[in-house]
Amino acid sequence: MVDLDFQRQALAHLDALYNFAMYLTKRPPDADDLVQETYLRAFRFSHRFQPGTHLRAWLFQILRNTFLTFYRVRERESPVAEDGVPEWDVPMFHHSPDDDGIAMDAHTDLERAMRRLPEEFRTVLLLAEVEGLPLEEVARVMACPVGTVKSRIFRAKERLRGLLRDYETR
Amino acid sequence: MSDRFDESSDDALGRRLAGDLPRYAAPARLRVAIVEAATPSASRRPAWLAPLLGAVASTLVLVLLVLPVLPRIVPADPVQRYVRAVVSEHARALMWGARHGEILPTALPWLTQESGIALPKVFAGDERLEFVAAEPVYLERQRGVAIHYRDVDGHMLTYIALPAAAALTIPDPARVQIGRWRPALLRDNGFATLVWKHGDVACFLVSDMVSTDDVERFKEYFALVRATTEPVPAY
Repeated sequence: MVDLDFQRQALAHLDALYNFAMYLTKRPPDADDLVQETYLRAFRFSHRFQPGTHLRAWLFQILRNTFLTFYRVRERESPVAEDGVPEWDVPMFHHSPDDDGIAMDAHTDLERAMRRLPEEFRTVLLLAEVEGLPLEEVARVMACPVGTVKSRIFRAKERLRGLLRDYETR
Repeated sequence: MSDRFDESSDDALGRRLAGDLPRYAAPARLRVAIVEAATPSASRRPAWLAPLLGAVASTLVLVLLVLPVLPRIVPADPVQRYVRAVVSEHARALMWGARHGEILPTALPWLTQESGIALPKVFAGDERLEFVAAEPVYLERQRGVAIHYRDVDGHMLTYIALPAAAALTIPDPARVQIGRWRPALLRDNGFATLVWKHGDVACFLVSDMVSTDDVERFKEYFALVRATTEPVPAY
């Protein structure tokens, strides 16, 4: 039986998790499934959560691990750089999410550029800049050292900047 | 909100991400689905369901255990009992085919050994009645032989010989005249059966030919089989 207090606290982060899932999966149905699976896992393993630690980061970590387990197409990834990030943008799905009507539409160049970033760059920017998690928590979610997080943020912004410039010059 | 990118510093880009990147709110149905999925399914079941299912399962097990030892309604008349067993064997062969599709005469020694019935003469089929298979059977606690035929219209006929003549009394009212023979014509479960004795062997010919015309043909087939088949106890 899930502790109702824990359930209430966890569901307070539903919107943040859904937003994160949307940027990871790029498709609302996939985001729905991913978030639901995340919560089911969180409730199932709620006894492992240590009260006093950052529940939000713990949930993001479960969500990302679930995404990597079920949604990512590892065999289609391009070679990774030293910090574990693919050198080029790679498709995340067997099908192209942009090709069907269910895929989310990009409303701005910023969103469009974010969607083109590799998952590691997207995640690090979403967690650190959009959700405002401390770097230590981002490192915990991404299971890497803080130094790697900093490096990824730097490279992600660099890549993002380049993409935005491309949009500007069109 | 502007899409123009006019600031190149990391901080400005970070602020822009935090402020301008569209946020997606979770649909209300998702919250409902998560809460419902998190509620243990057992608590949604009525309290009486588990004991009821348990009781039903126990009853089922008891019935399955007791069923084989319940007394079965069997006909008191030995002829009816044999006819019922013979019809069941014929129906089984109709549905599943012969257990051993051996062709005479190569299988005869094996068939005699297995069935206890020797066949010095046997009807092996002609242009009207095709031989299908011969096999040993075990009916009413006796070994015997079954020979299956099929006529040109697709009717299956089963000839069965059992060493049970002493136990049978052919009922006179059911006797019909076919050539020089007077077997009994009995009906059971939609099948017609001709019963007669051949020395110490009780013989049966079963078919689904029950209409008036079919019965006449059935009698002709009987005459063929009766005249050309000679079963005798092997031991």
